[in-house]
Amino acid sequence: MSEYIVEMKNITKRFPGIVANDNVTIQIKKGEVYALLGENGAGKSTLMSMLFGMYEPDEGEIYVRGKKEKISSPSYATELNIGMVHQHFKLVSNYTIAENIIMGLEPTNKFLGFIPYVDIKSSNKKIAELSKQYGLEVDPTKKIQDTNVSIQQRVEILKMLYREAEILIFDEPTAVLTPQEIEFLLEIIRGLKAAGKTIILITHKLEEIKQIADRCAILNRGKLIDVLDVATTSTKEMANKMVGREVSFEIDKTPANYGDVVLSVENITVKDENKFEVVKNASFSVRSGEILAIAGVSGNGQIEIADAITGLVPISSGKVILNGKEITHDTIREHINAGISYIPEDRQTYGLVLDFSLSDNLALKNYNQAPFSSKGIINHKKFEEFGEKLIQEYDIRSGQGTKTIVRSMSGGNQQKAIIAREVEQNSSLTIFVQPTRGLDIGAIENIHNQIIAERDKGRAILLISLELDEVMALADTIAVIYNGEILKVADAKSLSVEEVGQFMMGVTE
Amino acid sequence: MKRKVNPISKFFAKLLGNEKYQSFTIPVFAIVLSLIVGAIVIAILGKNPISAYVNLLQGSGIWLKPKYAGGKSMLTDLFSFLNYWTPMIFASLAVAVALKAGLFNIGVSGQMLAAGFISSVLVGYSGLSSVIAKPLVIVIAIIVGGIVGAFIGWLKYRFNINEVVSSIMTNYIIQYVVAFLINTKYIDPVSRQSKNISDASRLTLMNTQIAGYKFDIPLGIILAIITAFVIKFILNRTTFGYEIKAIGNNRKAAAYAGINVGKNMIIAMLISGALAGLAGATYYMGYFSSIQPKVLSATGFDAIAVSLLGNSNPVGILFSSFLISVIGKGRTYMSSSAGLDAEIASVITGLILLFSACSAYIQYKVKTTKEQIKEIEKEKNAEVKK
Amino acid sequence: MLDKIIIDGLSFALPLFIMAIGGIYSERSGIINLALEGLQGAGAFVGALAAVFLMQSFGANSSIPYYAAIFFAMIGGMLYSMLHALLCVKFKANQVISGVVINILAMALTVFLTKIVNRIAFGAPSDKFELGVSERWTIPVLSEIPIVGAVFKDIYPFEIIIIIVAIIAWYVLYKTKYGMHLRACGDNPHAVDAAGIDVAKIRFTAVMVSGALSGLAGMCFAYSISAKYSSAIYVGYGYLSIAALIFGNWKIIPTLAACILFGFANSAGYQLVKAAGLPSSYSDLIMVLPYVLTLLLLVFFSKHNDAPKSLGEIYDKGKR
Repeated sequence: MSEYIVEMKNITKRFPGIVANDNVTIQIKKGEVYALLGENGAGKSTLMSMLFGMYEPDEGEIYVRGKKEKISSPSYATELNIGMVHQHFKLVSNYTIAENIIMGLEPTNKFLGFIPYVDIKSSNKKIAELSKQYGLEVDPTKKIQDTNVSIQQRVEILKMLYREAEILIFDEPTAVLTPQEIEFLLEIIRGLKAAGKTIILITHKLEEIKQIADRCAILNRGKLIDVLDVATTSTKEMANKMVGREVSFEIDKTPANYGDVVLSVENITVKDENKFEVVKNASFSVRSGEILAIAGVSGNGQIEIADAITGLVPISSGKVILNGKEITHDTIREHINAGISYIPEDRQTYGLVLDFSLSDNLALKNYNQAPFSSKGIINHKKFEEFGEKLIQEYDIRSGQGTKTIVRSMSGGNQQKAIIAREVEQNSSLTIFVQPTRGLDIGAIENIHNQIIAERDKGRAILLISLELDEVMALADTIAVIYNGEILKVADAKSLSVEEVGQFMMGVTE
Repeated sequence: MKRKVNPISKFFAKLLGNEKYQSFTIPVFAIVLSLIVGAIVIAILGKNPISAYVNLLQGSGIWLKPKYAGGKSMLTDLFSFLNYWTPMIFASLAVAVALKAGLFNIGVSGQMLAAGFISSVLVGYSGLSSVIAKPLVIVIAIIVGGIVGAFIGWLKYRFNINEVVSSIMTNYIIQYVVAFLINTKYIDPVSRQSKNISDASRLTLMNTQIAGYKFDIPLGIILAIITAFVIKFILNRTTFGYEIKAIGNNRKAAAYAGINVGKNMIIAMLISGALAGLAGATYYMGYFSSIQPKVLSATGFDAIAVSLLGNSNPVGILFSSFLISVIGKGRTYMSSSAGLDAEIASVITGLILLFSACSAYIQYKVKTTKEQIKEIEKEKNAEVKK
Repeated sequence: MLDKIIIDGLSFALPLFIMAIGGIYSERSGIINLALEGLQGAGAFVGALAAVFLMQSFGANSSIPYYAAIFFAMIGGMLYSMLHALLCVKFKANQVISGVVINILAMALTVFLTKIVNRIAFGAPSDKFELGVSERWTIPVLSEIPIVGAVFKDIYPFEIIIIIVAIIAWYVLYKTKYGMHLRACGDNPHAVDAAGIDVAKIRFTAVMVSGALSGLAGMCFAYSISAKYSSAIYVGYGYLSIAALIFGNWKIIPTLAACILFGFANSAGYQLVKAAGLPSSYSDLIMVLPYVLTLLLLVFFSKHNDAPKSLGEIYDKGKR
């Protein structure tokens, strides 16, 4: 038997229009933590989806434990003791944790000796034991809808372990977790390694690789670039290989030149649908020529602050003042007209009408104004002209120019379109929420430069980001949010990364 | 690995492949397919399918019949067909407007009935002269239909009640309440229907004598065709049209862009209901002159599929409703002249609707087949280069 | 009078209930089913067809045609429902549109075929099948109990069949693997797929179950209300059962309560109108009740109303 538990040889996979994997060969040793590093669209997830039987390769062979296998379905992958935690969890929200774990492999019993039923009682016991064994504490009888992401991830891991997986694939497991939870997860992965499991980690976060991986394969545009020994390679080197060129982590930023206060948020409180206070008594202000970044772990109320300032969700108490005028309870349109641009977190759900053309999307906030329309009648020519102009200026790439249906565009170009539209509003305040989420390093750089350029034009910028690096690189002023409260507002230069990190955890001196 | 595309799918991919014309080619494909299936059924029954189809056209006054009864001509049939076609246009437009806003108005039949009934009671049984009565019927029908439609939109906006569910409920509420009122107050004991409305209030000029021929002249048809183009203009060229399309495609993005989702949704349903009201007026007070209690017209349901067949495009709807109406109207003549059961026509209509419901799948199939062909050609070229 | 209310109420509520269970199967698996109306009609057509042919060989008094009719109605409903399943699962059609189209087609086809069959097989130009009256059972002793005893009086045999089928359906949905997978499909089909279970197969079979149960219901309506099969079967029982299952929040037991409420409202209204000496048209007003109730329920409890999460969403394996 060869020393490799998994070998994928000369794998090629094509999708209409692109080659997702081009002659990729990787070999994974039993008991190691093997990382797959690459930008979005580099082909990491596709490669692993083939190992997990969700797609079949067009060319190439897969060997598991030295034996050539045709993995035609996830069930067969499971039979080969391969398990996968997907980026989007696949859980049934109104089922209990135990029910989710056993689904597809339910222990059954017979009622009166011939009527089969699913034995939930024994399942609960079994899951409780399993979770104890690997240090993954969960309550098997709790429903998924009553648990948080971190617990849900544990359930996904338990699902694999319940199926006696030996080869565990994690697809971007830390993307949704808080730093604390990430620590905990890495600890679990170490534990799994110690228990003899083989782990494949798909990620684009270099730090994590450095912490737990043994070896790391780098993919770029579907091709395998290199396989590195993590212990002897620097993160900088890995990053360069991943992008295919030199990257600078530093951003050229001139000192800020503050003007008048543009936005002032005074003691606002926001409640969610269940009347739960998600933003508590928050106050801060942004001046023109200033980037104020709100740092915080996901789900601590920062998105709601942005939605409240733009009028998307109601504010239960407190005031929002823009350029000296109170806009707290104005309609969304009044907020837009008052001079707020908003790049929302979820570009496909909020930022774009995916089945509209590019030009229709670029005019989404101006369609009702001259020259796009007058007295309610639309002038399509002006839509086209405006679209052409923005496509040129912002380098938005699309198949059929202004006529392109936005759904068919890449994520990066969709984001460019939103930024183009919002920046063109010439608003006094621009709110960026997670502006670089899911984009590759080239696109990220581009957007960062644009944000700084906007600041230098004298606009007030409110940046909300979960990436601490992004906050540290761009912010002039940092506000840290924890559990709906703004714990600290301070000049960016006066705070170290560690300090911000502590506030994000709710530690106050 | 060698891949192949079978020649039949290749042929269809070529035939239907041009995306620019797909909104036209795919419905036509569905229609042709259903006519073929219908022809096979007719042939199995031992009749000539071609002459049966010609009978449909003859019955609708589009094709010359071999002979006409006294005082009748092809134009008589044609006008009678137009009379039949009119409510179908309005009803399908009603469905289309709601559909653009992302809403399913399956309550068109109920809205039609409510509008037809209230107009009948208020105007049809009054002695008003025709100059006042006819416009009044139209206005009342628009108002009543609009109110019912807006109510469904309001329920959706205010309480987040699925419009399909509330439409079903309102359909039956209207149906039974109207049945009760007709049976207790407005019944014609002989016909077991509501009493006939006055000729002055009727939107069709019945038995009009022109040059020795008799015609039923439907006034509504002109309004219907104009309305189709007005709706097209509203959808494509106005900010309101842009707004409801934005809501229909992505409600959250529309709200983010400052569009008042609730208000526009209610207005869309109001317009949809008003159009259904017009359908009701031209149906119960045009094509017919009375209401059969406890029955919802099939028109409102057929309209959903007709609208789908016409791609929710007002001009497309003129064509699709025309076709479905030809089949509906011509079937009586087909039945008497070819000796076929008239119900075969409903079956063909059903088949057309069935195949058009699959249009998304056909589109998808065509697209993937096209891509396959492209890939194979690419591979071939690559091999040639080697 | 109270007896009559209970007897008629149950014989209306139970077919409604079994059809609603079919709807629950379909909708809990994620497929919107407005086609119930067409499915019950198509199923009853096949059942009635079997009955009229069997009545010729066994005679009108034999009970064999009766049970055969029920059996074939289930088969017929199931076969016809495969069209809805095919459109929704395989062809990824819009489920609301598919349901509406299936209903239109069912009515057209059955009316057409009824005529054809009557003409060709019996040489009579008729648009209905005469079925004969169903027998009725009264359970001794139990039926003597005051008030409640009416439950056991004048029972249609199909009511017993429905109760048995309903219990099995409940057990399968909540206790077995298949039921567990089915309910999961309506919430998150991706999870089901990831567990190595075929979502398409589950949804397809769920729609077939709804077809079979609707067929059963349609046959019962044909026997209990008119003793014949005709296009009068399409008066909205399917939609009423949809109202019932929404009222019951897509759960079987509360749906039973809704059906019984609807059934009793119907029969009580009818009896009251009769007792008060009003013309029968007043019973139409009573028929409004279930729909108004459902609408009101939705207005006041729309927050607590949880439709299956992925209801109506087309499941595409490739899309993650």
